[in-house]
Amino acid sequence: MFSYDLRLALDSMKRHPGLSALMVLAIALGIAVCTVTFTIYHAMATNPIPDKSSQLYAVTLDTWSAERPYDDEKPDLPPQLLTYRDAMYLYGARAASRSVVMYKSGALLLPERNGVKPFNAQLRVTTHEFFPMFDVPFQYGQGWDAAADEGPQPVVVLNHETNVKVFGGENSVGRTLKLGKVEYRVVGVLQPWAPSPKFFDLNNGSFDDPEDAYIPYGWGKALEMPVYGNTNCWKPEVGDSYQDFLNSECIWLQLWAELPTVADRDKYQAFIDNYARSQKAAGRMPRPLNNRLYDVGQWLDRNDVVQKDNRVLIGIALLFLGVCLVNVVGLLLAKFLNAAPLTGLRRALGASRRDIIRQHMTEVLLIGLAGGVLGILLAVGGLAGIRAIYGSDFTRGSYERLTEIDPFVVLVTLALSLLAGTIAGLYPSWRIGRTAPAVYLKTQ
Amino acid sequence: MDIKPILSSLRRSPTGAILVALQIALALAIVVNSLFIIVQRMEKISRDPGIDVANIFFVGFQASSDRFQGEVTMREDLGLLRSLPGVQAATVVNAVPLSGGGSATSVYTEPNEKGRRGDMNYFQVDEQGLETFGARLVEGRNFDATIVTMPPKNSSTSPSGILITRDVARDLFPGGSALGKTVYTGTNEPVTILGVIDHMHGSWPGWDKVGNVALFPVITDETYARYMVRARPGQRDAMMKLAEEALGKVDNGRVILRVRSLEYVAASTYAEDRAMALYLTVVIALLLGISALGIFGLAAFNVSTRTKQIGTRRAVGARRTDILQYFLAENWLITTVGVVLGCVLALVLGYWLSTTFELPRLKLYYLVFGVAGLWLVSLAAAFRPARRASMVSPAIATRTV
Repeated sequence: MFSYDLRLALDSMKRHPGLSALMVLAIALGIAVCTVTFTIYHAMATNPIPDKSSQLYAVTLDTWSAERPYDDEKPDLPPQLLTYRDAMYLYGARAASRSVVMYKSGALLLPERNGVKPFNAQLRVTTHEFFPMFDVPFQYGQGWDAAADEGPQPVVVLNHETNVKVFGGENSVGRTLKLGKVEYRVVGVLQPWAPSPKFFDLNNGSFDDPEDAYIPYGWGKALEMPVYGNTNCWKPEVGDSYQDFLNSECIWLQLWAELPTVADRDKYQAFIDNYARSQKAAGRMPRPLNNRLYDVGQWLDRNDVVQKDNRVLIGIALLFLGVCLVNVVGLLLAKFLNAAPLTGLRRALGASRRDIIRQHMTEVLLIGLAGGVLGILLAVGGLAGIRAIYGSDFTRGSYERLTEIDPFVVLVTLALSLLAGTIAGLYPSWRIGRTAPAVYLKTQ
Repeated sequence: MDIKPILSSLRRSPTGAILVALQIALALAIVVNSLFIIVQRMEKISRDPGIDVANIFFVGFQASSDRFQGEVTMREDLGLLRSLPGVQAATVVNAVPLSGGGSATSVYTEPNEKGRRGDMNYFQVDEQGLETFGARLVEGRNFDATIVTMPPKNSSTSPSGILITRDVARDLFPGGSALGKTVYTGTNEPVTILGVIDHMHGSWPGWDKVGNVALFPVITDETYARYMVRARPGQRDAMMKLAEEALGKVDNGRVILRVRSLEYVAASTYAEDRAMALYLTVVIALLLGISALGIFGLAAFNVSTRTKQIGTRRAVGARRTDILQYFLAENWLITTVGVVLGCVLALVLGYWLSTTFELPRLKLYYLVFGVAGLWLVSLAAAFRPARRASMVSPAIATRTV
């Protein structure tokens, strides 16, 4: 029976090849535009650490000025960064099962190997639990312990690319390299690791690659290492020394806490609120009590990681698909209604209404599948084009990662097309089925 | 011409016409709003930055040993850069314009953060900064080497005199001249305005105050810093190579990290806007194409299935032009309904975009372009099928089936 339906459908398509091609093209374009747009969107909105995203919290306190909110556009939100004093207190209290305080810095990396040019290495100055907290995979060795943070000990963890660049990719644990003026011993090398978005630090480019190397937090203060991220101040400060900077109301540090259960979360919230109250009593933090914990998903939202442009494009792509589907439905309807006399003949010869519906559906399915296949091909081509234009020219890692097609999107758009085609196929089937076969025979 | 027969025919089988009108309406809504976004992006990209983008490049460097002696070493390097034949001017600078990264501060017309406030994106440069940017002074004078200072690290000491753009001057002293006036920093240090720059863009092209820029006579003391060099017209690429070579030969305790043109930086900054404009252009082109093909396909199909009726009309006296007119009028009618509906949809979409994404509200005259465009496309798409209909021979009517 199916092969008969298939033959009828192919016959019908062959009778109007131009029209059939047009329908296939319309579905293909709709699917291609949606797939390309959603692929870009998905790459930006994916969860970078799915297993732990609801246990990791960015900690924020509203330490800003009484006169104005931190961000005029979002006046009810506290700033994303912390002062040194607050970060050190909250970290030191060990109120979470794990926590990390950190910032981005950099130093000149002088390799011990000959022939490797010195370069400005991006560094993450961080406490030791960064690695277990964020599930960072090691290729060789491991991270450091609390004593190394305090010391601070001259140890460093390299990311995969830096290890390739500086040590040719071999197991470099135990080797040394100079960062700025200090010689560090390599204790660990990471596997290739680039969470996207770079959720743990969204300050400078949400899709940037992680830093080249990691050093214990204590070095930040010991060497007065520069802040490569943002430093924001609202209060005129006294004194120019580094210690004055550490005592200031300037915000520049990131603090994350691992809180496995909701109860842990609530307890931690109470803890930071109590701390803020004590600071208010001491004359600091003039704004209303407003301290927030963001899990990874909320953090991406709060930082507008998915750009407005991409949401606009999603809307436009869906409307575009709408135009294509309306187009296809119109063409299908015209075609099926035009073939009504022929269908009426089939009815008169004994085909049931179900047979007619199946015949129409087979054709819809055929057109939909052809459109889907062509659409995917067009989408692959389109994404390759985007990569060619934007991936190679600029060092935006993001575009490199933006070009894997999401099968979910293809399925959804294809399903939408088939649904529209089904409606377009059912209506004539229903109309023809309703009419007495004799009517069609008469007009012949 | 009488449109009654068209209406009655449409009334009998309205589904196809409704779908065509709906398609045109959706297409119009998308085209108008996309066009609006494209024009905005192109305007943003093509603004005059007020600086010599084509000829400026940057040399990033970093201190690598104790032989690096801050200002002395930097002056040495600058002397070398300025002596190159194709170099017009050079300075140390704390940030790269149009790059998305930079520093900003505010000054006030009265102490204690009182009076009018001027927000400014500042660049720390030496006496050749103004010339290196290629910006033009309209009032006052450039600062000379004597007031260029190199404050110690982490210092919040402000320069005694600065240059500001007209945009900042307007915020601070609307209606009057800012030249020679004293303004105050957040820490109440007085600063004199030495000169007013006609116009230049700062670090953040997306900021609504991108033209609020100031030049500070300060040599930045960062371990990672950069020289900004302006080459003579047409010599930039040669000078980039030459500068890297010449500086590389001198070993004075710093390493040269990266040489990059401002053009590259600007292109990278505007890449997203360009991508958006390009993407929407492609969408519009595809949309108009698929709509035209759809209208054409449907019209051609209708003509081919109505051949017999057309023949009959011809046989009872209709002229070719009558047939042509009939089909074009039918198409015009459907298109017009679609376009009217499309205008409403376009406004709704525009309103949604402007409220949800804080985009500017759609300008109404864009509707005119959209309507005219779709009318033309629709008419052009229907013309060939209509002409073919008019070519149907009256003899067809006499042939049965």
